[in-house]
Amino acid sequence: MASAISQRLMSTPLAWTTAALVFGILLHVDRVPFWVSSAALVCIGWRLAGELRLLPLPNRYTKLGVAFLLIAAIFARFQTLNGLAAGTALLVVMGAIKLLETHTRRDRYVTIGATTFLLLAACLDRQGLMRAPLYLVHAWLCCTALATVAQEGGGLTNRAAGALAARSLVLSLPLAVALFLFFPRVVGGFWLLPQGSAAVTGLTDRMNPGEIASLSESDEPAFRVSFEGEPPPPEERYWRGPVLHDFDGATWTGANRAYVPSPLEPVGPLYRHRVTLEPSSQRWWFALDTVLERPNRRAMLTTDHQLVGLQPVTRTLTYDVVSATRHISTGPIPRVAQRIDTRLPADRNPRSVQLARQMRAQVSSDAEFVDAVLAYFRTGGFEYTLTPPLLERDSVDDFLFRSKQGFCGHYASAFVTLMRAAGVPSRVVTGYLGGEWNPIREYFIVRQSDAHAWAEVWLDGKGWTRVDPTAAVAPERLRRGVFDLMPQSLSAPERFVRSTPWLVDMRQRWDALNYWWNERVVRFDFSAQLDLLRRLGIPDPNWHVLGWLFGSALVLWLAIVAWHVGRALRPPHMDRLARAYVKLCAKLAHAGAPRELHEGPHAYAAAVAARRPDLADAVRSLLHRYADLRYGLAGNGEASREAIAAFERDVAKLRTRRP
Amino acid sequence: MTAGREALGAALNALEQVILGKPDQIRLCLACLLARGHLLIEDVPGVGKTTLAHALAHVLGLAWQRVQFTSDLLPADIIGVSVFDRATQQFHFRKGPIFTQLLLADEVNRASPRTQSALLEAMEERQVSADGVSYRLPEPFFVVATQNPHEQLGTFALPESQLDRFLMRVTLGYPDASHERELLRTGERRDQLINISASLTPEGVLQLQQAVRGVHISDALLDYAQTLIARTRQRADLKLGLSPRAGQGLMRSAQAWAYIAGRDAVLPEDVQAVLPAIVAHRLERRDPVQSSSGPAIASELIRAVPVPP
Repeated sequence: MASAISQRLMSTPLAWTTAALVFGILLHVDRVPFWVSSAALVCIGWRLAGELRLLPLPNRYTKLGVAFLLIAAIFARFQTLNGLAAGTALLVVMGAIKLLETHTRRDRYVTIGATTFLLLAACLDRQGLMRAPLYLVHAWLCCTALATVAQEGGGLTNRAAGALAARSLVLSLPLAVALFLFFPRVVGGFWLLPQGSAAVTGLTDRMNPGEIASLSESDEPAFRVSFEGEPPPPEERYWRGPVLHDFDGATWTGANRAYVPSPLEPVGPLYRHRVTLEPSSQRWWFALDTVLERPNRRAMLTTDHQLVGLQPVTRTLTYDVVSATRHISTGPIPRVAQRIDTRLPADRNPRSVQLARQMRAQVSSDAEFVDAVLAYFRTGGFEYTLTPPLLERDSVDDFLFRSKQGFCGHYASAFVTLMRAAGVPSRVVTGYLGGEWNPIREYFIVRQSDAHAWAEVWLDGKGWTRVDPTAAVAPERLRRGVFDLMPQSLSAPERFVRSTPWLVDMRQRWDALNYWWNERVVRFDFSAQLDLLRRLGIPDPNWHVLGWLFGSALVLWLAIVAWHVGRALRPPHMDRLARAYVKLCAKLAHAGAPRELHEGPHAYAAAVAARRPDLADAVRSLLHRYADLRYGLAGNGEASREAIAAFERDVAKLRTRRP
Repeated sequence: MTAGREALGAALNALEQVILGKPDQIRLCLACLLARGHLLIEDVPGVGKTTLAHALAHVLGLAWQRVQFTSDLLPADIIGVSVFDRATQQFHFRKGPIFTQLLLADEVNRASPRTQSALLEAMEERQVSADGVSYRLPEPFFVVATQNPHEQLGTFALPESQLDRFLMRVTLGYPDASHERELLRTGERRDQLINISASLTPEGVLQLQQAVRGVHISDALLDYAQTLIARTRQRADLKLGLSPRAGQGLMRSAQAWAYIAGRDAVLPEDVQAVLPAIVAHRLERRDPVQSSSGPAIASELIRAVPVPP
């Protein structure tokens, strides 16, 4: 009995609808709050238990109460019901509650509709290559559910429904491609919904080396860069991020103050490159140090040469920039910069301040002082490590005179403190260093583990000059990644991957594929469209051309589908007799006596006689002749040809007009 | 050929005088017998099941026996038993009631499964084995079984595999108003059998069966019938589709129906006419809630499969 019930449940469209809904909720399970997906799954479980007669289904008031409670909870959590995050959460719970009251066919349609909206929300949220197959599976589930609901009671097997859905999806693929390629893109489109607070990753405008006992080993990509022409040499692959000015003795923070910057004069080659930035929910647009001009109006170039977006980066972002790795500015230092970039907290790190003043007194220029401090780092018994000891309150003193162990942040912090103590304007720059070359599609991939901090010092006549104190301690860090330098800090599986060439190769291929996906599919915008059209031989594309192309693609697709459907409907082969019979049926249908598709000739003759008694005799004779020719012995052999010809003639002669 | 047809027409007329208002059922019964199949008549008591079987035997001029099935009926009661003959000092097989040309098995679902299967085996093999000796049953050999679907207590429903051995299942149903009035006026129908002479002989029946086999089946009709049979296997809401044996039976029955209608080729209409009786006891819905009867499934099938031009 139990198996009969479960069999019945499985064969109903409800099972498919539920499957599509559950899958749609799972697409969002790591984005919506835990309790939202739990509540939704409980509702779905309740519905299934109700179907199996294990639990009574809730009455109207319970459902209303549950719905009100959940909406209120979502509003309390997000402070709005608008936007992608809150909207998705709302859709998840409402879809599940709708399932609770899904009894009729119409209800099932509504539930499937909500489920497809879940898919749409998922597509808006994330477009990674890994997710594409999931979306496809969900689309197929929705279509299968639709097919089973539409054919309810029509005896469609699960397998047939699945096949039908798959075939429909394949048939719609050309239209999807045409829409993708030619549908006019709105610049800055309507789908830029307000994003919820997603997890913040990557660098921030705050740095406290003393607090960090162990640097994150995240292998997540931060961004990818491809160069037009030669890439810069390894020692110049500094990717500039937040610039930190203010120091309270332990923590560096960024402060963005507007002043007229000293103009940069590039020395040496310019590097034109394209950056594809992963979403970080931060506003920094990383690029090769130092960017000369902002790529577009959605970002600004600050006075300390940070490239900052106007909005947090919540989706993959691509931009083209030009950078100069070496530059000078001959003018005097702006007064604001002079003031803020020499400031140190009073009564903090006194020994360091004293050391700096002594060292400065022994040399004649700022440049020589820089060299002296670097030499001090090189020879003072300092050690590069990713697992430094924690530092005391006066972190620089503690680092310089006690622990002498640290990573880039410690060295940059100590270096800038020493510079400022001697009155040399300097600042901490954070960002990334190096990156892994992907030979397959020829780009650099920069990971979170490549994060770095260095210093900039103002030298008269040269302007802001990059100094990397870490390089004085661990020169290899410039050419190799952190983990190549200290493999012992890697986890065992990670070490295994890195030491296995084919795994490295596979990883690079997979990353290249991801890069291609982001470049060519996710980032396919209006300008990419224009580019494609130019390559298709349309030199001056505009909206009209796009519209025409899209329209003709649509017509072509409709024609293909119509042809396919028509081929499936058309009988495979019609001989002369069949054509004549079809003609006769058409004539009689016109005369008010259409043939039911399942009627044989004799039954049809009787039906015609009932409706048109005046035609009864003539039609009966014709139909009986047809029956003889089609089903009887008369239909075989030479004689049948003449009989068929005569039948054709008599069909043509038949007059059906009423007397 | 024509003599056979005339006799058949006379038989039909005679039957219609006994069983009032059921021409289609009578034709189906005749078609079943002419197609060399066995017949299951299922209905409530008192609508004329037994009268129909009597009338068939009488009109066809066949020797017949009737066995009332009960739960204590043993296979030997049908097949026969070996008895010791004192005079010859030998065992001697005394044939049971099955050795006849038309066996009326009344209330077949009351017998134990063992007895049922003994009967059904004989129906399929057209011979009986007892004590290692095979005895052929007479020709022609028909079984007309009746059962009452509404009586559940103390019955053993025939399993699907055994139901498949009956070519057709026919339901009589209540007569319509005018025929019922006639029935009420004239009284017992079985009395009228005396007034009716046999229209056929056993030899005549065999010849008719031979003639039915010669009714032409065109490729176009086979296409249609195959689509129809395939459709029963594709539908998800049916437990089982039609078996190949049922398919063969469908074609033979359609031939017989065409022959009775006086044609020498089978039309789609013939297939449609016999289909409800063929599928009635074979197709069953998966969902017990939607327990609509076999004939309803048959008409769904017929409507779903177009007759190609």
